[in-house]
Amino acid sequence: MAPASEAHRTHPLSALLQGLIWGAGVAVALAWQLLDFDDLQWWALASIPAGFLGGLAAGYVSWLFTRYVIDDAEIRVERGILFKSSRRIPFERLQSVDINEPLIARLVGLSELTIEMAGGSDSRTRLRFLTLVEARRLRRLLLTRAHGGSPRDETGELPPEEQRVVLHVVPPDQIIYGTLLSLDFVGTVLATLGSVVAAFLLEDIGWALLPLILPASWAVVQMIMTRIVAQWNFTLSRGERGLRIERGLLSRSSQTIPYDRVQGVGVVEPIVWRRYRWARLDVDVAGYGNPGESDGGVSTTTLLPIAHHDLAMRIVEELVPDPERGTTEPVRPTHRSRLFAPIGWRYRSLAATAHTVTTATGWITRHRSIVPHHKVQSVEFSQGPLERRRGVASVEVHTPDGPVSAQIKHLDAAVARTVTFEEVERARLARRTQPPLAASSADASIAPTISRESSQPSGSTTFRGEP
Amino acid sequence: MREDLFTSPAGVWTPISPRLATARGLVGSACGLFLVLVSLVLWLQLADLVDGWAWLLWLPGALGLALTAWVWWWAPRNRRSWGYAEDEDDFVVRGGIMFRRLVVVPYGRMQFVDVQSGPLARALGFGTVTLHTASTATAAAIPGVPLDEATRLRDRLTDLGEGHGAGV
Repeated sequence: MAPASEAHRTHPLSALLQGLIWGAGVAVALAWQLLDFDDLQWWALASIPAGFLGGLAAGYVSWLFTRYVIDDAEIRVERGILFKSSRRIPFERLQSVDINEPLIARLVGLSELTIEMAGGSDSRTRLRFLTLVEARRLRRLLLTRAHGGSPRDETGELPPEEQRVVLHVVPPDQIIYGTLLSLDFVGTVLATLGSVVAAFLLEDIGWALLPLILPASWAVVQMIMTRIVAQWNFTLSRGERGLRIERGLLSRSSQTIPYDRVQGVGVVEPIVWRRYRWARLDVDVAGYGNPGESDGGVSTTTLLPIAHHDLAMRIVEELVPDPERGTTEPVRPTHRSRLFAPIGWRYRSLAATAHTVTTATGWITRHRSIVPHHKVQSVEFSQGPLERRRGVASVEVHTPDGPVSAQIKHLDAAVARTVTFEEVERARLARRTQPPLAASSADASIAPTISRESSQPSGSTTFRGEP
Repeated sequence: MREDLFTSPAGVWTPISPRLATARGLVGSACGLFLVLVSLVLWLQLADLVDGWAWLLWLPGALGLALTAWVWWWAPRNRRSWGYAEDEDDFVVRGGIMFRRLVVVPYGRMQFVDVQSGPLARALGFGTVTLHTASTATAAAIPGVPLDEATRLRDRLTDLGEGHGAGV
């Protein structure tokens, strides 16, 4: 094995792959801009293959000048010819390491390594492309280092790939049903069908609706692609250091969420799904940020796209110790808050357990946010002018940016104040009992893992949810 | 009752500098004066043209005067509503009259502390101290902290943050 600080290149085929991607992009853009079939110009025709070749060349050059170096404290990625960029990623700042196999790369057995750090939109580093074996080896090395472990023992070997226990494989039919039964999908399909029908009824001017039909159909196709194809074979497995998510039919992606980097878990139950007791799980990890609108419901923050509620809760227990134990009497808004949410106020509540604080909200789609006390960033108590007139106030428990947001609006003002300082107190206690997780000695944070392991004696069972 | 709600249990509140109100008053007055000047210019230029409706030209000026009066009334009250407390384990910030807010930030959660100060604020000797945690929702900014106190606060909070360091 090479010495630790030697510079590595990505796989030579990445030059070709990246070149193809860029070349195709340039060629399509040029074709779109320049081609005029009524009046074909030779230079317009020639520019398309030229653009394609240019893209290929750029791919080669970018490969030639991309290097990564791993030493004792960090991984460094260097890029660029004219504008050199060098990014250093100290191991202890690492939040998660993912492996993606976009379809085109997967065809030739290559994959992309994504390294996530906390902070900012630019905190993601991609290494494309590596062989799958190399990507896995790197991930193992990075994750071991991130947890303060030594990269290799005396014999100079990497620790072997850890044993993983498959927790759940989401059956494809459940993903399909779940998508078909989700409100936004049904809404989009109805809108599309509606406009098609309208187009047929308005025979003469029906074609004018085409600009409406095309994007709507495209949205339907995209939803099917992102939700069903991207979440095909969604596999959740448990290892020593974290949960792993593997998913995708065409493009595969493999994601590791270290236990101690989980900032909060969200349980989402849309109205139709509740009939079947289905739920979706979201997870807050510093650095993942908010799922973009364009993701259409699939993103790195999805922990489990669809599963039976009981199964989902068992998965939550994997991440959050004892979410149910020692549950306090839930705090609910007063009837004075009816003004703000005529129906919704009955569905809002906040409860705390020994380890977590849980808020619930929503009556069409029910959201439950579970935040461990020792991950609470800050607690806010606020009151607007209308709230003051009704004698109510709101409490928000801040977590790093992501899909999970633990807040309860319009509690009785005095109760809200009590809740705020109770949560501050619980968070303080949790931080004390939890050995402080100094960034460099993340091992200390395995503590909750131990209690969890002992509560799962039959560690090798695979449980599946019944739809 | 309001005051009761927005205090810390350990509550020794440090108020912020009255100069914040002065600065806001000055900015408000400047805007007001500008509007009055606009009215004056309009009146000098157009009074003959819009005969009979000339008083309308003084509306911006009246608005400017009202704005000035309101700012001088609002700024001291808003200033008094702000405060911070250094509790044993947490830093507590409160502020606002209409929209009241109290944020409790554990020292160990603090990622970094900013001190910002514009030209007018610097001339009057105060700045804005902002606490950052891993959550952008924390947004705990304290306006109008005297500059030397701001520097002390920043250093103290940074020290405390390291001492209580709890990672992300």
